[in-house]
This record gives sequence, structure tokens and C-alpha cells, in this order.
Amino acid sequence: MADLDDQVRDFSTVKNLDDGSDSSDRSCRKGHKSTLPLVKPLSVEMDKETGFRRSVQMCLEHIREAMLRHRWQEAADYMASYPQILEDRNGATAVLYKEVVWRICTEILHHHPRATMESCNITYERMKHSGVKLYLTICLEHCFHLLLNGQMEEAKQQLSVAESWRYGKESATQHHKVQLIQAYRSLLDYIIWCDKRRTRSKNNPFDSDHQDLHNYFRQASVHLQEILKSPGVWDPFILSYVEMLEFYGDHVEALNVLNNYALNKRFPPNPNAHVFLYQFLKRHNTPEKKLIKVLKNLHVLVPSHELMLEYSYFLLQSEKIGDSQKALGVLLEMLDFACWRSNLDVWRCLQAVVQDLRLRDDWERIVQEQMASRQDWWPVLHFTSFHAAKDSKENPQLWKVKSSLLKILCPGRTLGYSGKKR
Amino acid sequence: MDEDATAGYREPCAQCAAVNWGISEEGRFYCMSCHNVIERTIEVVDLSVAGSSNRLKSIAKGPRTSKEERGYTWLVCEGFQFILKNQADALLRLGVDPNFKEVLCQMWRLYLQKSQQAYTSDRLRGSRFRPLNIDSDSDCATESSIVSERESNPSSFSEIDSDCSGSADERTPRRRNRLMRMRKTLALVHLALVWSREALTLSDLLRLVRDGHVPYLNAYEQFPEEMKLSGNKSSVFNTKSIPSHRLVHKVAQSLVLVLELPAFPPIGPENLLHPAMLSMRYLADANLPDGLHRWVCSLMERPQKSKRDPSPALPRHDVQAAAHIIVTMKLIFGLDDHTEWELSNKVTPHDPSENLFSFRRWFRLMGTALGRAEQKRDRDMARKQWKPKKPIILRRRLAGRAMKTKRISEQLQMCFEKLSSSPAGVQDVGLSSFRFCWGDEDGSNGPSLHHMKLDGVLSLEDDVLTPLNSSYWHPGLRRCKLMHCQGSAPGHYPEFEPSLPRSFVWVLRLFSFLLDVEPCYLFQEVLEVERRLVGSRLPGQRNKRRLRNRTGKEEEQQEERS
Repeated sequence: MADLDDQVRDFSTVKNLDDGSDSSDRSCRKGHKSTLPLVKPLSVEMDKETGFRRSVQMCLEHIREAMLRHRWQEAADYMASYPQILEDRNGATAVLYKEVVWRICTEILHHHPRATMESCNITYERMKHSGVKLYLTICLEHCFHLLLNGQMEEAKQQLSVAESWRYGKESATQHHKVQLIQAYRSLLDYIIWCDKRRTRSKNNPFDSDHQDLHNYFRQASVHLQEILKSPGVWDPFILSYVEMLEFYGDHVEALNVLNNYALNKRFPPNPNAHVFLYQFLKRHNTPEKKLIKVLKNLHVLVPSHELMLEYSYFLLQSEKIGDSQKALGVLLEMLDFACWRSNLDVWRCLQAVVQDLRLRDDWERIVQEQMASRQDWWPVLHFTSFHAAKDSKENPQLWKVKSSLLKILCPGRTLGYSGKKR
Repeated sequence: MDEDATAGYREPCAQCAAVNWGISEEGRFYCMSCHNVIERTIEVVDLSVAGSSNRLKSIAKGPRTSKEERGYTWLVCEGFQFILKNQADALLRLGVDPNFKEVLCQMWRLYLQKSQQAYTSDRLRGSRFRPLNIDSDSDCATESSIVSERESNPSSFSEIDSDCSGSADERTPRRRNRLMRMRKTLALVHLALVWSREALTLSDLLRLVRDGHVPYLNAYEQFPEEMKLSGNKSSVFNTKSIPSHRLVHKVAQSLVLVLELPAFPPIGPENLLHPAMLSMRYLADANLPDGLHRWVCSLMERPQKSKRDPSPALPRHDVQAAAHIIVTMKLIFGLDDHTEWELSNKVTPHDPSENLFSFRRWFRLMGTALGRAEQKRDRDMARKQWKPKKPIILRRRLAGRAMKTKRISEQLQMCFEKLSSSPAGVQDVGLSSFRFCWGDEDGSNGPSLHHMKLDGVLSLEDDVLTPLNSSYWHPGLRRCKLMHCQGSAPGHYPEFEPSLPRSFVWVLRLFSFLLDVEPCYLFQEVLEVERRLVGSRLPGQRNKRRLRNRTGKEEEQQEERS
């Protein structure tokens, strides 16, 4: 492989020049091989390549160009000549090229108008068995592809096969992927469980079906429990697990799982976790205090969440003194975001909070405290004459509410938010 | 009981002890008498992917070594001889004179003798290819065949002495043996072509190889069944690329030294291989007017004072012809980004009959044709298939994996061929000496400018036709003396190129496309011609014509006589 050595050496010399450090200058002059980590040759452009290498390089460039511009027919034409790269006997880049070929092939087949499921399947199967390092990844992707096309059973079967794959050290080093595969298989079990439950409720249930259902539940829950213990974002998995647990009446376990997911410090902060917890608690008639606590956590993460409206209702209705103030804070933070600008409910709630606050003596101070940092930009966000025109045309009630709040929120400023009185 | 489905499962049921199994919807076995479901499931075979399995199928029934036993032991040079023979036959089919094959044969035998692989009394033990089970009686057969050839064939060369034992060459025998490689076959063929004065230039030969008309790429696939390739030495038959013009010429040059050939037979101006005739061909291909040919010939007739050429030098007629054409164009059109356009401006308004050659019109015509042809060349390059149908297996234990990879690659290819409009690889290209086709027929690259007159750029002075352009520019002509520049491939062209006039660079690009060489290679030849034209004396020595750098213009005597 003399030419490859030249290529590699040349590239390392070029890299040395870019670095410009002393040691690299020395190695340049003497022509030694560099000790710097070498870039994989796939990304290197070398004009002096000839023959096979040049052909595959040019082919890859054409394919890439065609794919970038969504010219799928042209990409397929060039791809028909590219698989010869797999027969290249350089062991170092073999895995790299396998991955490149697999990903390009599947991408083209997904988009090409005349591609069939069969050709996709063939591609996945061939590339899966072409090597050891890629087997699990390709299995997972194949399963996703089958799911996209609605073939649940095949997907489940693929994953079961993948789960039982063993290859010495490889399966040990890739155990994360195995975990993922197990998790997805459990998810598929859940989907099948859902289907069965739906069909079962139509017919008369007899024992074997019930047993079957429970089997799926058991199979699914084994791995779901496992995966939910490790930190990560597992939204679909947790939803499915909780649903199954609720069906079988195990509320305690469900609550544990949800609490862990939402409150465990090791897990990345996930607003959805709090949302799931809140929805579960609501379903099970928990006292308001607990709900407020959950929503408080959510408020920290996502001030503009739609549940903040419920949060502010809770705060309004609670009897604690500081809560109205908190409610004001929550609503103002919601309105900081442009998506709530035209929402009548939010403004009405704000109006209610303000009215509630006015019962107190120092309501002006409280309001000003909250609005102090907002005086610069709130008028432009909400109270320009353009908004006035728009609101009075589209949503007169909103206009009414907003104009009543105008003087309170931004006292002492003349704003263009007046409009024709209807 | 579904016999097919249960595939003959005959265990009695645990509950009712009957053997009556069926398959439920989920693929589980259940007893049809008592509906007891057991844990056994049927293997679901996905028929869509079982079509072509990845497992190695057995190739031959019967005893495993029966086919392999029929092979015989053969030497590396026999393999190359076979390839050379195939190449010669292909060229004969393309129309080359049969005498060429004789010449090639003689050269090959001379090479074998000089490298002590055959025709000599102390033969070196070359690499042998044995069949997989060692069968020694076929050994004698090959040796006797070589010996008989030596005795029966009188050679026409007086230098060959069949009893000559190895020449006094300082190269070690091991190195000598490694020297026979695939590219040497091309070099030998080229030498034989030049010796027999065939009009097939090296660039034509390489183009034929590239298009597959002459076997080179994976040529070992045409070996007969009995010659089997195995082991480490077989990598010598691997072809990963087609060698460049420069490389083959270099190898051929060294072969001339090894073979100790006398001077090549001279080529008269009527012969098609002569640069004068070649230049006519290139002028036609480049759509230049025929009138230029006279100027090119008169340029070529100038005395060739080559002081440094080693003898006997292998002539490069194709590159020389192209370089002379470029220099002629420089003389007549200037090619300095001004003169040629001014001359074209003068021509166009005064030309009611459209019979005068205009550089601008030629440039535009040629530009589009060249661009399209280069794109097609790049497309073909990208789609060319290099890997052989029967890969060379260096180590037997890797054979299984190599075949599996090959199958995967073939199946993927089939998948995409179904989607694509054309099959993989390059389509069969039509055979032609010309890269472009000019004329009015369908499929031509454009209208022909061959008949146009050069009157727009020439003038009659003192009854002598002279070019209107009276100045000539050239880059520094002194040879570079640095060690790593001597004979290196790009030379200094990449540094010069940004400062050269664009029309010159474009003309260089055009002719390097026609010949399929690198522009830097052609540029070096142009420099050689200019050195001969202008005189390569170093500045500082006394010289009639003062040499200036390329930024200056040099006045030249009007030497072009018609």
C-alpha cells in the first residue's frame, strides 16, 4: 500500500505546516512520519490520486453533490458505481466506508420515488451482516425504518434477534446499544399490548388472551424499569410504562417512577417530566398543595409553559398571602413571551390578579416592583398603536382587558394603545 | 397436524400425550387436541431477505480438490507473457500490423534473457505458482517448453546470443526479479509500437487501455483455468490504476537501457508517426485551420540542436507535435491575452464571406466542447469499476471474507441499478483516434473550422507571408538546477501558472486533454521547444538576441518563410 502511505505521510506533513510548531518543522525537514494523530483519509482531498482511489473519491463527491441538491435519480446513478469501495482492502478505513455506504444507500432509498421496501430491507440486511461493529446500530435503524412504515411485528422480530446477538468483546463494548435495543423492544411490546387491550375490550375476554396481555406487560416492564433507572431523556418509555402500571392498578410504583424521573438530580432537567408528574397527580386527585409544588418546579424550567396558567389559577385561589404576588409574577413572565400576546385567558387572569391585589394597600408598590424591569420593552411588546388597531379589529374583548390594565401596569406614560371606543 | 409447518416435531403433548401439533397465529406450537400451548415457536423465515443468502454456497459437489488438481506450476514471467500476448492480439484486432507482434515477442525474449529469467544458462529461480496441492510432475513440462522455444527460434537480432549468461549488471538478482510489473507490459508494447513505426502513440495506447479495448485492468482474469493465483506473490498482477503517460515513458526509457537496444529506426516525414503527420491530426482534432500545418512543419524543420539528450532517447512524438503546435500558435496569435483578441476584432467586421479564421470564434466553440468533454471524462472516471470479478486472495483464510464482501457489494449494486437508468460502470465507448468530431452531422461537437483561411492574421510583406503578430513572449527558459526539480513531475508549472496569460493556459489545457497528459508535462515540452527556438544560452554570455524575461517582449527576426 505504498500509495496510501504516501498519501498519509503527505497529509501529515501538511498538517504539520498548519501547526507551525518547532517539532513539526523538524519532522517536515527530515521527512519523518508525523506523531500527530492522523485524520482519517476519508476527509482528505488529494489531487494526485489516480486510478481506483480517484474514481471512488470523485464518485463520492458526485453523490454528495447530488444528495445535497436532492437530485435523487442522479445520486442513485452514481451510487450504483460506488459499492466497489467496500472491496478495498485497507482494514483501517473499512468500517468507516461501510458506515458511509450504509447511510448513503438508506438515505437515497428513503427519498427516491421508485424505491421499494424490499430494496431497503435488502440494504439493511446486507450491511448488517457485513461486519461486527455496525451490527447493532444498523439493527436499530432498520427497526425504526420498519416502524415508520407501520410494520410493528417485523420491527419487534428484528429487535428480538438483535437482543440475542453475542459476539465476544464486541457485544460487551457496545452494551449501551444493547440497552437501547432492549428499551425499544419493550416499547414495541407496549404498543402490541395497547393493540391487544383495544381488541380485547371488544370481544369477550377469555383466559389465554388475558394471560397473553399480561405476558407482554411483563416482558415490557423488565427492560423499561432498567432503562428508566439510568439518566437520560426517556419520555415515550416512561409514558408507556406509567400507562401500563395504571391499567394494572400499581399507582405507587407509577408515582415512584415519575418522581424519580422528575426530581432525581442525576437526570437532565426535563420539563416534560414535571408535566407528566403533574398530569398523573391530577388524574389521581391529589391535593392542591402538591400540584402547586410540581408546577413551581416547572415554572423554574419553562416560564412560558401553558400549565403556568393553571399554576396562576391555583395561586389566585389559594389563601396564602404571598400567592397573589407570585401569581402576578408568573403571569407577567408568561406574557414576556410573544406567544401569549394575544391570549385572552392570560390577560383575563392578569386582570383578576390585579383586582385581587388592589384589595391590599401596597398594591401599587407590588405592581411597580414587578414591572420595574419591564418598563423599557413591555410597551413596545404589547401596547403600541399597531396592537391597538389589530386587537380592536380581531379581538375586542382582549382590547378591553388590555386597555383596562394599561394605566396600572405602565402608569405615567402616554402610550399609543387607545383605539376607537366600540 | 400441519406436517409442513411443524417440520416433523413429534414429541407427545404434556397434557394429553397426543402428537397433534399446530401453529397458532403468533407462531407458537399448540396441541390441537387439548389446546395446550408450549414454549416452542416456529422459526419465522422472512422470505423477502432470504432471496440471496450471505452464506458461502458450496461451489462444487464432489471431492474438494478435484478441480485444483488440474492446475500446473507456472512462473511469474509466464503470466506476464500471457498478458502480453492478449494485449498484442487486441491491438492486432484493432488494426495494427501483424509485424508488431513479432517485434514484441522478440523484445520480450530479449528482456527475459537480460533479466535472467529465461534464455540463459544460469536461470534465476523466479516465483512459481503452484496449485494448492503440490504436484511436482508438471514442473518439468514448463521447463522443457521454455528450453524448446529457445532452441527452435532463430532471432533476427544480431545482439541476442542465446548462450549468453547474465550481463554484468550491478543490480542484485532479487531486485531484478521484482522489476517485472504490470506497467512494464505497457512499456514493452509501446516500445514495440515505436520500433515498428505504428501510428499508435503512447497517449492513444493509454486511451485504449482506459476504455478497455486493450486488456490491462485485471488482465489476470483471462488466465486459463489451469493457471491459479495464490499466495503473496500474486499481488504483482494487481492493477489499482492506469499508469500515466509520463510514467510509462520513463519505464520504457529504462527498458531501452536494460535491453541495450540500438537506435530506433528513423521515421520519415511520410510516416504517420512522424510529428509532422501527428500535428496534422491534432490540428484537425482541435478544429484549427489546415493552413496552420505549414507553419508547424517549418517550425519543426529547424535544426534540432540537442546537446544534452542521452542516446538512444525514446522519442515522444505525440507530445512534441502538440508542443510545436502550441508554439506555432504563440507565434501567430500571440496568446498573451491581448494580441489574439485584437486580431479577432480586426477579422470579424471585414469578413462578409465568413471565411477568415477568428480566434474568438474558435475559442468559444472549442470552450463549450472542451467543457462538455471534460465533464463527461470526469463522470466516466467516477463511475469506472476497478474491482475484479475474481479477486486475488493473498491469504487463504481471508478468502471467505473477501467473497462475502464482494457479494454484498454486488447486491447493493444490483439494488441501485434497478433504480438508476443506466448500469454501473462506463458505457462502451466508440473507437476513434479523434476526441472531437467537427462537421455538420448529428452528434458532432460543432461546425468545422478547418477550411478557414488565416489571411486575417497573416500579411504579405516582400512577397513573404508573415504573421501580423511581431512579438513573442516566453517564460524564463533557464533550466532549473535544483536537485528535486530534476525530472520531477510538476516542475515549476504550478508556481508559474497563475501569472501566465489565460489564453495560453487554456490552449495548454486543451491539448493536454487531447493527449490525456498533465498540463505541466506539456508545458515542459513547450519550454524545450522554445529553448531550441530561442537558444538556451544563459544570459550573461554573448548572444545576438538579447533574452529578456517574460514581462518583456522580444523582437524577432521574421524567419517564417512560406
